[in-house]
Amino acid sequence: MKNISDLLTRLFSYRMRALVKKEFDQIGRDRRLQISLILPPVLQLTLFGFALSASVSNVRLAVVDDSRTPESRELISTLTESKSFKLAGYYSSVNQLGDAVSRGNADAGVVVPYDYARSLARQRPTTVQFLLNATNANTADISRAYAQGVIQTYNAGLAQQGIRVHAQPAAASDLARRGQVQLQPAFIFNPGLVDSWFIVTGVLGLLLILNSSIVASAAMVREREAGTIEQLLMSPASTTEIIIAKITPLFLLLSLMMFAAIAVIKVVFGVPFHGSFFLLIGAGCLCILSGISIGTVIATFSKSAQQAQLTSFFINPPLSSLSGALNPVEAMPKWLQPLTVFNPVHHFATIVRGTMLKGGGFMDVWQNFVGLLLFTIALVSLSIWRFRKQLS
Amino acid sequence: MRRIVAQARKELTQIVRDWRTLALALILPVVMLMLLSAGLSLTVNDLPIVVQDFDGSPASANFIDAFRASITFHVVAWPVGKSAEEALSSNAARAVLIIPPHFGRDLARGVNTPVQIMMDASDANTAKLVAGDATQVAAAFNQQMSSATQAAPVQAAMRLWFNPGLSSKKFYGPGVFVLAISMFPPLLAALAMAKEGEQKTILQVYVSSISAHEFLLGKIFAFMAVALGEALVMSSLLFTYFGLALAGDPTPLIIATILYTFCVATFGTMIGATIPNQVAAMQAVALGGFLLVFLLSGLMFPIQNIPIGLRWISNFVWGRYYIEIVRDALLQGGGWPAVWYKVIFIGLIGSTFYTLAWRGMRKMQVKA
Repeated sequence: MKNISDLLTRLFSYRMRALVKKEFDQIGRDRRLQISLILPPVLQLTLFGFALSASVSNVRLAVVDDSRTPESRELISTLTESKSFKLAGYYSSVNQLGDAVSRGNADAGVVVPYDYARSLARQRPTTVQFLLNATNANTADISRAYAQGVIQTYNAGLAQQGIRVHAQPAAASDLARRGQVQLQPAFIFNPGLVDSWFIVTGVLGLLLILNSSIVASAAMVREREAGTIEQLLMSPASTTEIIIAKITPLFLLLSLMMFAAIAVIKVVFGVPFHGSFFLLIGAGCLCILSGISIGTVIATFSKSAQQAQLTSFFINPPLSSLSGALNPVEAMPKWLQPLTVFNPVHHFATIVRGTMLKGGGFMDVWQNFVGLLLFTIALVSLSIWRFRKQLS
Repeated sequence: MRRIVAQARKELTQIVRDWRTLALALILPVVMLMLLSAGLSLTVNDLPIVVQDFDGSPASANFIDAFRASITFHVVAWPVGKSAEEALSSNAARAVLIIPPHFGRDLARGVNTPVQIMMDASDANTAKLVAGDATQVAAAFNQQMSSATQAAPVQAAMRLWFNPGLSSKKFYGPGVFVLAISMFPPLLAALAMAKEGEQKTILQVYVSSISAHEFLLGKIFAFMAVALGEALVMSSLLFTYFGLALAGDPTPLIIATILYTFCVATFGTMIGATIPNQVAAMQAVALGGFLLVFLLSGLMFPIQNIPIGLRWISNFVWGRYYIEIVRDALLQGGGWPAVWYKVIFIGLIGSTFYTLAWRGMRKMQVKA
């Protein structure tokens, strides 16, 4: 008890305030640090949010129509009238169509067989071939679903016109007919399927951790670069005071950045906010703390700002790519998926999506919250230990 | 020529001296290729889904088995009493399949029966993939259950070209390969050039007999060598771990690679010459090399999806053309007819960088 009250009085002591003021002044004089506090949230959020969209529309469709009948033209116009496909041109042979796809003049091709109309008239099933450029697996997968959807709708239209197909007309009797399963998809939490909601909620975590670590390492290493750390040591302030005084202004400014970023997410991208605001802010503060700690640890290993930045090149790519911030964790190889448990960005992204989009409470994301908390505690202790070691 | 070689040798010696830069040049590109290509993939499999079966008939069990058999899904247990939305909001499942009562009876009576699949669309792309796959599973189930008498009149046969296994590794591997080459060699080049300005060693260069072009070319050749080395190391990984192979004429790829290494080495040198401060130069390269090539080059998502206001920038992004060339050479095999103008663009952008670097160097004397 005495320890705590002792700590509290020290926290609000004159010396402490003076140290904090010194740090604020130093940040106030550092133009580059200020820019890196304001510019990244706005620039990165908007750039990532607008530029990264996986949606598939206007797939350029090349057509080989061997049938050249009203029926085949109807099928083609059904395909190209949908928002998913647009006509890239007619080709006279499959070879030419193949060339067009491999040169990148078209993304997909459709081949209507010469006996298309005849088969339909004779009530025999007919096969239309789709050729998809599958270089991009995701786009190919989605356009395949589109094509199948259009064909299904087309079939339903044919059925209404009374065109049914009887492969074995003799066996056809309505008694043998079985019902069909009609799958009705419902998209929960994001019925408009807006891509940017997923991206910006992920980028928020990246922003908090990476930006905090960059800003913190720059601020920490400067004292060392300038050689003023010895002067700090000679002052009556204890190491704990020095560390707290260093962290406080950074933490306050980065929290401001967090609010600005959340405002951009809310206003520019129109992401709904269904859940607890305090849960999000709490998780965000933990994120900032772990970011600052990562930056401090980097700074203690580097002699100059240049070295600190180079070192962060080794830490940031794995931290951001194995986080599930920009893509689903399930898309990663199986052996990499467990590693996301050790990534604060992953926990934070899950919390942000849980609170903002899904409207979940603490009980829904408590595992991620505890994970993030454990990480923050571990990182903060590590950074204090490294900083003390550096000072002594 | 002798002076150019000497300059290049001096640069390479300086790289080898610092372990951080050496690791940055050799190890980091490989690590990035492995991690990022995995970390960018969007196609999922083995997604957890919850099934709420209100029917409990043999027919519904069959239908659930169809979902169990699909590689996209795995069915996880969920308490009957809890609501379906809870499974989604607590991240226990990505989708919930709800089978209504009378499912089996309706099917047997020949009545169409609705089955709802609720998807967590907070990730819109995955939700679309899940919807597509679930529809296919249901269609296959219908096909299997119905007699041959009621086949759909028009059937779609899908052929997937260039990447029939729909492996995202093969798409992102080449992209990350380009990203790594666009990032690390220019970073080293910018650091080396900015250092000359920061430590005023540029003045020694001015008083020596080496000309500006010789000096620049010596530097650029050194970092081209670094970039080509990285390209060799990474492409061996592409051909083994990523399972890629040359799909056609390799000459466009070879020529484009040489031009592109020139382009990125010159970009770094240009930044270093205009910003004689190592930290600031590094940030500028990170912005140009990483942000532009990562976001506006079609590396991860198609360029057509970028809003018009930003899309025009991608015409000037050097990495965009090289990504398209590499993907063409390793997957599509379109050869020269498909990519000739992209090779020219890379050359043009590279020579623009060279001119700017040369002009920047003339001003370095004033700054130093």
